[in-house]
Amino acid sequence: MYGGDEVSAIVIDLGSHTCKAGYAGEDAPKAVFPSVVGSIDQMEVDDPDNLERNSGSVPESNSTVRTSESEKAKGKRKLYVGSQALGYRRDHMEVLSPFMDGVVADWDIVDTIWDHAFRECLLINPKEHPMLVAEPSSNSQQQRERAAELMFEKYEVPALFLAKNAVLTSFASGRATSLVVDSGGGSTTVAPVHDGCVLQKGVLSSPVGGEFLTDCLMKSLESKGITIKPRYSFKRKEIRPGEFQTIDLDFPNTTESYKLYCQRVIASDIKDCVCRAPDTLYDESAYSNIPMTPYELPDGQTIEIGADRFKIPDVLFNPSLAQTIPGMEGFVEIAPSLRGLPQMVLESINKCDVDIRRELFSSILLAGGTASMQQLKERLEKDLVEESPQAARVKVLASGNATERRFSVWIGGSILASLGSFQQMWFSKSEYEEHGAPYIQRKCP
Amino acid sequence: MEAVVVDAGSKLLKAGFAIPDQAPSLVIPTQMKRVIDDGSIADNSSCEDITYDPIVRGFIRDWDALEDLLHHVLYTGLGWEMGNEGQILFTDPLLTPKALREQLVQLMFETFNISGFYASEQAVLSLYAVGRISGCTLDIGHGKIDIAPVIEGAVNHIASRRFEIGGIDLTKLLAQELSKSNPHVSLKMSDAEKLKEKYSRCAKDEIGYEKIQQNCRKEQHILPDGQVITIGREAYIVGEALFQPSILGLEAHGIVEQLVHSISAVSSENHRQLLESTVLCGGTSTMAGFEDRFQLEANLCSSAICPSLVKPPEYMPESLAKFSAWIGGAILAKVVFPQNQHVTKADYDESGPSIVHRKCF
Repeated sequence: MYGGDEVSAIVIDLGSHTCKAGYAGEDAPKAVFPSVVGSIDQMEVDDPDNLERNSGSVPESNSTVRTSESEKAKGKRKLYVGSQALGYRRDHMEVLSPFMDGVVADWDIVDTIWDHAFRECLLINPKEHPMLVAEPSSNSQQQRERAAELMFEKYEVPALFLAKNAVLTSFASGRATSLVVDSGGGSTTVAPVHDGCVLQKGVLSSPVGGEFLTDCLMKSLESKGITIKPRYSFKRKEIRPGEFQTIDLDFPNTTESYKLYCQRVIASDIKDCVCRAPDTLYDESAYSNIPMTPYELPDGQTIEIGADRFKIPDVLFNPSLAQTIPGMEGFVEIAPSLRGLPQMVLESINKCDVDIRRELFSSILLAGGTASMQQLKERLEKDLVEESPQAARVKVLASGNATERRFSVWIGGSILASLGSFQQMWFSKSEYEEHGAPYIQRKCP
Repeated sequence: MEAVVVDAGSKLLKAGFAIPDQAPSLVIPTQMKRVIDDGSIADNSSCEDITYDPIVRGFIRDWDALEDLLHHVLYTGLGWEMGNEGQILFTDPLLTPKALREQLVQLMFETFNISGFYASEQAVLSLYAVGRISGCTLDIGHGKIDIAPVIEGAVNHIASRRFEIGGIDLTKLLAQELSKSNPHVSLKMSDAEKLKEKYSRCAKDEIGYEKIQQNCRKEQHILPDGQVITIGREAYIVGEALFQPSILGLEAHGIVEQLVHSISAVSSENHRQLLESTVLCGGTSTMAGFEDRFQLEANLCSSAICPSLVKPPEYMPESLAKFSAWIGGAILAKVVFPQNQHVTKADYDESGPSIVHRKCF
């Protein structure tokens, strides 16, 4: 039993796009940074085999070399975390994500990210603070045990709790029963929560998330001939007062993944500023004549965005629309099995018991970065009212503040960890030492 | 009696009674030496030559040294009497851990027995000093650089950045460069510090910097111990290091770019407010030519995000940039203490040190 009262708990939410960390009891996380790392493989100069492998350029053998290198000890590659470190261009720096298909694949990267959050962003010693870690709603037992091991063995935290994202969002809005639609960077998850517990049979997930929409936008702009220049690739000089000239800089040793990462950052800013969810299903002809919105890229180029403003967000509601964007044809293989957002909501509710369906319909919560898109709430509500059974009263709720929507999982964790009645529910270090990691299943349902 | 405002920096501690529109009355270095008190003051050899820095990179590290320092400042410097202590306002740098604040409150109430306490972040105070509540502060101090966007008196922590470089690293750089070009002169750190303050400047722009690197007017300077040292292009390297941190060996962008990135991280409806009120503060920002170079680099950014520096009000003293956090604290103290929004001794006795997080933010 861990009775934490004076000491502040730390809430950490490692999402597929950003990692949020901060003190419990506060209304916003203090540290928010991308959950990808830059990695530079250290080359062994005195090992001729290694040199040969590294300089080889055959595509197939390159990928196998990469996986075997990541299995080696961490000391073989240098990782850079945080928006400051990632923002600086370095030769041969690859951008890696710890997630693969929504599940954590590389625990070293997770370790580095947590370390950065604790020691460099929050400036705390993890030994002194209990940790509340947010996990995906359909996390496997093995992943939870791994997380618990990492926290207790490496960071020696005094107490730990793993809470599901959907439950935390539910708490953030003050409800014990709701249907949580979490539309984040890497995926969209629909999960029903009943009395503070996630109903696993109703959890549905789709890979269409914010990053997918950003990729669609990028491909769409490319097909129109607009290239987004990453920030490091140009410099502005003043040739005469008031007149500027953009000079291209060339860095041949920059990796493709880093270039893509920088372009994505700019494209997601375009998406945030300009995109809006359309009121009805997107129709190519209806939107061909709408006025174009200008947007200024960092290099001074001004681009005009017209129909894409509405087309891209509609991919959430109608994923097959992505096939019409040139360059996204690779998506075709998985497209038939994907459903739009309203269909996912209905399917999820139909998988639950009949008794709670009414309650779920009347409290549908929107969370996640992508959910802060303008008009998304209204469009979802309208689509659901059309397709749901007549007797159901459909209500979609989303907090008005965009920051709250983005961090609703973190805020829920902050609320939970600062409740007086929660303090006896921590999974303490002594319990871990006594019963081992599998005990977490009992302590954190 | 007026409240006391203390701004403890990595190099200088600024303290004084809360009288706005004036510079702090007591500005002393925070670096301390230990003196073995065995009665024989005349015997200098018993004095250890180890210096203690209670404040490293903006954060308090050595609590005993700080206690001695504050004791001197409050009782000897400002004239407080034992048993009749007043109220005190402290300034915090960005990202101060909660535990540090609690320890400070504990020290003040238990050791010094003050009657009222308040703490505020330096970024917000620097904005108050120029008469704004929203804007972006760029605080270039001795131990750290803080970039903090502030909206209506609240720092946006998610967008703010902190760098562990500052005046102290520039001094080391200058000492290195000077010893390369003047191999027979041995330079102490304190002398290098003074040389930096006297001679360092920023080149007009990058092209100007490159020209100076090749060809520069040299000046002779006589050190206190009689040695003669020539300074030429080294003075410009120090200024350039802020705009090109690769000179210091760091992999980071220059401060103007970092400022732009920081502002971009804030939601776009607030961009205009932040860009129009950018405040430069901290000792290092008073370098000759810094403001002009900053404005020039800022103009090179895309027209959507182009910071412009704010003009300080005329009734403020000339040295506003160096003491802006202190002056802002004086302004705040005049508001907070009379309205009883501070942490009183009774509050502290009842709730303990954690009350500081609830009352001061």
